[in-house]
Amino acid sequence: MRMGAMLTDVIRALFQRPATRQYPFVRTDAPERLRGRLHWDGEKCTGCSLCVKDCPAQALEVFMVDKATKRVVLRYHLDRCTYCAQCVVSCRQSALTMSHDEWELADTDKVLFTITCGDDADVQRMEELAPKDAVEQP
Amino acid sequence: MSEKSEKFIVPIGPQHPALKEPGHFEFTVDGEVVTGASVRLGYAHRGIEKATESRNWTQNMYLLERICGICSHIHALAYCLGVEKLAGVSAPPRAQAIRSVVAELERIHSHLMWLGVAAHEAGFETLFMYSWRDRETLMDVLEALTGNRVNYSANLIGGVKFDINADQRDTILRALEFLEERTAHYMDIVTTDVVFLRRTRGIGTTSAAQAELLGLVGPTARASGVARDVRIDAPYAAYADFPVTLILHNVGDLESRFIVRINELLESYRLIRQILDHMPEGELTARVPRRIKEGETISRVEAPRGELFYFIKSNGSDTPERIKVRTPTMCNMASVPVLGIGQQLADIPMILAGIDPCFSCNDRAAVIHQGDDGDTWTWERLRQYGIDYYRGQP
Amino acid sequence: MRELFAILFFPGGLFLLAGGMMYEWADHKLIARLQNRVGPRWFQPLADTVKLLAKEEVIPSGISTFLFIALPIAALAGALTSALYVPLGGLAPTYSFHGDLIVALYMLSLLTLCTGLAGSNTTDSFSLVGATRTLTQLFSYEAPFLVALLGPALAAGSWQISEVNTYAQSHWLLFLQPIGFIVALIGLLGKLEMPPFDSPEAETEIVAGAMTEYSGRGLALFHLGRKVELMVGLTLVASFYLGGLGNPIEFVVKTLALLLGLSVLQSLMARLRIDQIVGLWWRYGALLVLAQWLVLMLIGGFTS
Ligand code: SF4
Ligand code: SF4
Repeated sequence: MRMGAMLTDVIRALFQRPATRQYPFVRTDAPERLRGRLHWDGEKCTGCSLCVKDCPAQALEVFMVDKATKRVVLRYHLDRCTYCAQCVVSCRQSALTMSHDEWELADTDKVLFTITCGDDADVQRMEELAPKDAVEQP
Repeated sequence: MSEKSEKFIVPIGPQHPALKEPGHFEFTVDGEVVTGASVRLGYAHRGIEKATESRNWTQNMYLLERICGICSHIHALAYCLGVEKLAGVSAPPRAQAIRSVVAELERIHSHLMWLGVAAHEAGFETLFMYSWRDRETLMDVLEALTGNRVNYSANLIGGVKFDINADQRDTILRALEFLEERTAHYMDIVTTDVVFLRRTRGIGTTSAAQAELLGLVGPTARASGVARDVRIDAPYAAYADFPVTLILHNVGDLESRFIVRINELLESYRLIRQILDHMPEGELTARVPRRIKEGETISRVEAPRGELFYFIKSNGSDTPERIKVRTPTMCNMASVPVLGIGQQLADIPMILAGIDPCFSCNDRAAVIHQGDDGDTWTWERLRQYGIDYYRGQP
Repeated sequence: MRELFAILFFPGGLFLLAGGMMYEWADHKLIARLQNRVGPRWFQPLADTVKLLAKEEVIPSGISTFLFIALPIAALAGALTSALYVPLGGLAPTYSFHGDLIVALYMLSLLTLCTGLAGSNTTDSFSLVGATRTLTQLFSYEAPFLVALLGPALAAGSWQISEVNTYAQSHWLLFLQPIGFIVALIGLLGKLEMPPFDSPEAETEIVAGAMTEYSGRGLALFHLGRKVELMVGLTLVASFYLGGLGNPIEFVVKTLALLLGLSVLQSLMARLRIDQIVGLWWRYGALLVLAQWLVLMLIGGFTS
């Protein structure tokens, strides 16, 4: 039984720098394994849609533009993604990876959250086939 | 004055600074002494159990992981273990060991957080700040190990997503060393600081018999001397190979809940070290078919707050037929109105914090009776209600 | 003219409010550093006050509107008035007469009293419980605190603050009356409703206690009163026990030293329950200071 059991901590803290991280001013590197923004390699993708089936957040859409030449377009909804990495595991072709340093993804413009990846020509063809649904503005 | 003088009721919640989560308590007080209490839950009902029926087995893992933000891994683990049992596969030993490591890390983070919250409820801000500062070390470890601070998504049905390499092993061990020293210090504080002891010793005492009667689980029950720990009673994941020592204390007051949880921290440090030193080699995943065989099973694990229970039923397709979750807070919540009666109003937040409540785990649809018509909802009536509701003619 | 200046700028009015804010900031900053945090920036109390003043004031129904508006004003006025009698900034008090110590102390208590009344003037149960606790606590620390401050007055042979201050400059009463100092220090914690005596506004139990229904201007005035009270209280205890306040430098150094002591005490303790507070004050506080008083009187009796 004693008074002020935290006295040593408190006195030591007077001569210590605060433990708080001054986030926007001082940045520390994100760990290697951090699950950040998804990246897709169109060359590897076969358009099997396994990632779409397993994504718990319906954040991915795969469009087969040309079956014969395996031209695929992927639409990725950054705002729906929960960064769970299930798609990375599900993809047999290792076409999907997650970046560890792209994680400050907040924005005020909703349109920026829908990312269409693929060859320019493919995207254009895809848009002709399946027009992008209108995104409501915030 | 008439005998029926107006009752003085202090409402706590659904919005109240003591609880950052929605739950409603009404305490009838006489001066500062509580004479009656009632609980009402169900403010954050999200319909997760129903939602699982429209997602496939893989997607459900992420949905269920989000039942609770603090014990996210253990929910996914309970679900994966259940589904693996149904499918007749079991994850390889190395995967099981990694699952246990993450589960124990999660327990450490949860208990350290609880220590801070409980101190805060008692107005001991300094202990709150320090324990959360130290918890931050562990959050960093979890982030480096799993890739996220909250929803680790370490599990896959049939294994885990990642390995623990030598570097990460060292990071974990270094963090544990620091935390072990701090935890011993906190143990010293909560058992010797006079002012703090005045708020914990002899408050909200639950006897073993009472704990059994109320069906308490987890550290709350163990603080009353009830030997109940799923990791020991029915070992899962890697706990059969790496046995846990049961932590018991038999006074049952708030102080012993502190002692039990802090001792569990120390036990978790030991266990993680042991697992990391004797990590089984091998694969990380086993193949599990997309469609799970027809059948039903239960799966029990020890979450930081106590026993977590899953019932899983499959009809042979790629989505479950029914998933039922019973969370530990649900079992422990009943003790709050019972223990609260006769206590000082000032002790109520402490008694509530003593069970380490988690409201998001807790919430399910609630039917509120106005008056005492005391009717029962049969399964048929509930089903009819659901059908009518969705037709838009309730 | 002089009076007007004294009331509006120095030592009353603006100087006090600004000083009170700085002391509150220092207190918050010190506690933050003791807890290994960063703490607020220097203008935080000012920003809070401006924000509160600019906000809508919601007046609940079913209560006396007059009291609801008048009580915060009375509280702040009481705190400001008490400052006229203490050696703020190490300078001689603006007003001084025999027995002004008692007046100053009761002016300070006016704030607590108003808080209690404001809490009772609602139908909200948090406020009512808070008000009961505020007043209960007032009655428990008030007498020991008063007696602890009368110790130096007794030694100086005068109940006039300025004279005690002069006397204290040649006698470090901290060492001559250590018990009195400790009781005064802890009494100050109680008076300012700081931990461990913050049960009247324990946020985890009763939200903001008596202040729960207040918003906007009323709340800002109460908070300003609290800031002024902090400054006046520190000045009083420092001038009585820490070797008097002769000049502005001494004032700043000594009050800040005292504030550091208060912050350390605050950060070391959990909140006490109201029944424990009452027990503590009457069982130990009151008896200890009375014992010391007795010793002082005996010594005084022998030496004279
Ligand atoms: S990380 Fe998860 S939520 Fe995001 S796209 Fe992949 S599977 Fe979907
Ligand atoms: S799973 Fe891989 S290969 Fe299949 S569609 Fe998705 S990214 Fe392409």
